[in-house]
Amino acid sequence: MSTAISVIKVRDILLVTMPPDPDDSTIAALQERVLAAMERHGSAALILDIAEVDTLDSFFARTVAETAQMVTLMGGRTIIVGMQPAVAITATQMGLTLGEIETALNVDRALDVAAMPAPQKHRKVRR
Amino acid sequence: MLRLLVDSVRDYAIIMLDTEGRVLSWNNAAEQLKGWKAGEIIGQSIAKFYPAEEVARGKVENELRVAAKEGRFEDEGWRVRKDGSRFWANVVLTALRHPDGSLRGYGKVTRDISQRKANEEKIKQQAQEIFEMAVVPVVQVWEGILLVPLIGVLDSMRTQQLMERLLHRVTETSSPVALLDITGVPTIDTQTAQHLIETISAVRLLGAEVILTGVRPAIAQSLVHLGVDLSSVASRASLAAGLRTALGLLNQTIAAAKDQAHA
Repeated sequence: MSTAISVIKVRDILLVTMPPDPDDSTIAALQERVLAAMERHGSAALILDIAEVDTLDSFFARTVAETAQMVTLMGGRTIIVGMQPAVAITATQMGLTLGEIETALNVDRALDVAAMPAPQKHRKVRR
Repeated sequence: MLRLLVDSVRDYAIIMLDTEGRVLSWNNAAEQLKGWKAGEIIGQSIAKFYPAEEVARGKVENELRVAAKEGRFEDEGWRVRKDGSRFWANVVLTALRHPDGSLRGYGKVTRDISQRKANEEKIKQQAQEIFEMAVVPVVQVWEGILLVPLIGVLDSMRTQQLMERLLHRVTETSSPVALLDITGVPTIDTQTAQHLIETISAVRLLGAEVILTGVRPAIAQSLVHLGVDLSSVASRASLAAGLRTALGLLNQTIAAAKDQAHA
């Protein structure tokens, strides 16, 4: 159930750790809780730690991508942390693109990333 | 004298067979190797020494026929002991003939080479491990920087291994940057380029960056002519330039962390 997830607010960051085997209701609850917290605190970044997650289904992948888009709309950034190699391979094979989502190896580094200015959104000069 | 030799010799089971492949004589080594005593086995067919599936395939008759025709038959394979356990044997079957040339029977010398077989397997396995290491070497060249020096043609099996090994090493060593050096790769086709892009995307999902280095003029030309879009991938002409870029990436991260600590 939704009790499995805790959304921790640290300064201007929201920190969420996913349980190992999130079911669909947990994943749906994740989105609700995160967006509610964004509204309440006006946080600058969401750090989503998925180091425990060892299987990635399409619902989870889509919800994470959508949640990130919603967080962007509410003025925040999303940083995915600690994805396991097997999960990354599945995600690539599924053709999952990260879009605006940033990634980091661990929460430490995610905090460094969050402290840096957000990357320019595909403003590369193309002629 | 000869009888004494046959009975005293160890390690070699020496057996005489009649023309039908039934045991006529049995030495001490045969008893030790196979488990049957002379009284139990004399008169029985040698089919007892073979795994059932090989007997069904007609292996025994085949061996005897070849030995009779060519004078000699040598084989390595599984043989069965009295207790049902198996051993890897070297077997030499020799046809014995009367002075007039008619077949009298066979001499059969069997040796247990299980140990040698096990050693060979071990060496083969070690060679395989070394080979895999050489196929996709992943080395840490700096704290936080991995280097993958690729040499030779990249087929899909190799790129698959590349992806798996690189992702695991990135996670294990918590390295934010990986240098993928293709100086030693002779050509890149569309499929290989696609595999490389997939690998790079997967590494990014983990939270690390890949810099493609050693992009020689010929490679750069063929990538553009093939229409492969590598605009999202950082690439450098030389490994040295790539390493400089990687250090730059790390310094930025460290500098940013320090700024935050002071803030």
